[in-house]
Amino acid sequence: MSDDQTLKLLVPTTTATELSRRGFLRGVTLTAAAAAALSACGSSGSSAGTPGSGAPSASALPTALEKDLNFFTWADYDDPALVKAFATKEGLTTQLDVYASNVEAIAKLSAAKGTAGYDIFVPSGNYVPEVLRNNLLLKLDHSRIPNIKNLSPQVTGQYWDPKNEFSVCKDWGTTGYVYDTTVIKRELTTWADFVDAMGKEASGKTSVLEESEQLVGLYFWSKSPAGDWSSDDTAELDAAEAFILDKVAPHIKAYDSYPGAGLAAGKYALMMCWNGDARTGLMAAKEPDRYRWVLGAPSTELWMDNWTILASAPHPVAAHAWINNILDPDVSYKDLQFHSYNTGIAGLQEKAVADKLPRNDVIFFTDEQVKTMSTYKVGPTLQRRLDILQKAKARSAAG
Amino acid sequence: MARPGRRSSFGQRSSLLLLLPGVAYLVLFFLVPVGFIAYYSLGYKPALFGTVATDRLSFDRYAEVLGPTFLATFTNTLQIALIGTMLCLLLGLPVAYWAARHLSSRSRNIVLALILLPFWTNFLIRTVGWVVVLAGDGWLSHLLQTLHLTSQPLDVLDTRGAVQLGVVYNYLVYMILPIYVAFDRTDPALREAARDLGATRWRAFRQVTLPQASSGIAAGVILVFIPLCGDYITATILGGAKGNMIGQLVAGQFLSTQNWALGSAVAIVLVGSVLVVTALLAGLAWGTGVLLRRRRRVVLINPLSGVAPA
Repeated sequence: MSDDQTLKLLVPTTTATELSRRGFLRGVTLTAAAAAALSACGSSGSSAGTPGSGAPSASALPTALEKDLNFFTWADYDDPALVKAFATKEGLTTQLDVYASNVEAIAKLSAAKGTAGYDIFVPSGNYVPEVLRNNLLLKLDHSRIPNIKNLSPQVTGQYWDPKNEFSVCKDWGTTGYVYDTTVIKRELTTWADFVDAMGKEASGKTSVLEESEQLVGLYFWSKSPAGDWSSDDTAELDAAEAFILDKVAPHIKAYDSYPGAGLAAGKYALMMCWNGDARTGLMAAKEPDRYRWVLGAPSTELWMDNWTILASAPHPVAAHAWINNILDPDVSYKDLQFHSYNTGIAGLQEKAVADKLPRNDVIFFTDEQVKTMSTYKVGPTLQRRLDILQKAKARSAAG
Repeated sequence: MARPGRRSSFGQRSSLLLLLPGVAYLVLFFLVPVGFIAYYSLGYKPALFGTVATDRLSFDRYAEVLGPTFLATFTNTLQIALIGTMLCLLLGLPVAYWAARHLSSRSRNIVLALILLPFWTNFLIRTVGWVVVLAGDGWLSHLLQTLHLTSQPLDVLDTRGAVQLGVVYNYLVYMILPIYVAFDRTDPALREAARDLGATRWRAFRQVTLPQASSGIAAGVILVFIPLCGDYITATILGGAKGNMIGQLVAGQFLSTQNWALGSAVAIVLVGSVLVVTALLAGLAWGTGVLLRRRRRVVLINPLSGVAPA
């Protein structure tokens, strides 16, 4: 099986030492079988961190579901009703732990060296290569996820995982902003307008994402002509830092990755936000017409978050069952309405339009709009971006 | 003479033995972790997903911390902490005095219970409670607008003022309790003696009661000032971008940026500056005490000769 070839390469270093120490002598001629046995041992409900719990193959999994399922994901990202329904149906207990950034999550998982105890992990696509480099993921057993066929070809086979061997789309979205038309009375359409308004009417009333990439992205998106926001060019990043510290940071009221919740409370006049968060906020607002959503222009972000199963997952069978469950069109439609992001299941957009789902223009985007979006490629200067965010925070407080 | 000598050396040895658990505790759970932080602060961040490496030691991280961007956060933090401690003292001292001196023991227990009651709730929940109170669409904002005291919705959240309010609320009890205990232990006879000798109420308080409570005040100031300098929950929840404190910088370096070396350097500079400021405050208090004692030196009449000594 070609799967098993890949498997050998993907044994995490920690597991590799376990293999050589404990399993080498008895398993040297049976590499694949040993790995299969190890993965079975890891999935039999034993605690995480046992030798072999990191063996990244699902091919030899038992059919019976485990009693637990542990999520490691973003805050407020899964409909509790759907999780509960699944848990009740399958008779298992779910636990959920959250993180605020990919870097934080990956650092935590690599530091745990396979003892984190989580099953499901939801990294953004552009971080999947880094996750794979750390051997953190279990190879998905597609025979356990038949619903994978429901995904639109638009969201499968992305550059980080061309065959969806380790990840499948949870949802995708973009970045834009929402403004209060009673404070900003002119029409804003671009990122340059956003920066202009935050220095004028919305000074001290603006929120930006608490994310280094998007904050620095603001420089590349708003300048004319727009630059490549993945740029690793030092001179460009120096210019970006100066711009963020002088033109952006002094006007910021809060670094808030989920300003949608504050929208209903009238907390900000201008907020940079992801589309799903914007829609959630607009739906909750008492006077929704007061606020206007603008998709970042001329260029903006495209991100995709992905369902993955950790190599150290103590409950891989249940994790596969969950992914298959969430890819069911009816379940996915409910999920979509909970977080307001496009889940990439074919036919849902048509269904939403037919159902007249409110503000579906903030969930679904036209092909022309998608053409203006691009994904940040995680590169060597991500650290520089993280530093700029910390400096910007210090500068905002000093102003 | 041999026996008592032996006994005293045995006593010394056993008292050293008795110290052992305490010393071990301090070494294991204070000196060792802080030592690691100090060691890490000399290291660097090796790669994007690495946290710290120490194969090459330098003071570069300190240069970063003491650069102009982060120094501003230090000044903000010290300012919030000093003003907060002062406000806690101004509010806490009268409350402690009133509870210790003017209440019957029954109502005193009730008052103390009421002061402590909010502290049965989690720190975080109490702070989030203020978000509810101060929100622009919250009940306080509506009330003020209904009473025509303000025309605009409240705009206090996400400011340094909100952090200032939050820290005073969160730390006040650590000021009240030690001062209350100190006042409670002052000897009423001394106060009566002062009154008998002609001191006014205010003078008796100032010159007799207050100096007796000074250790409690010092304890209160230290208990409020030091944790307040490192607080980041209050600032994260109430401060927005404007109320940034150094604790958030430490947390940010450790949790989101994953740069343990820089985070450690910030933490060490924080510990250092807190020690310096505390030492300065202690020096200031000691200096004023010396000056006051010199000014108010009581001249005793020599009971034998009936003449004041020179």
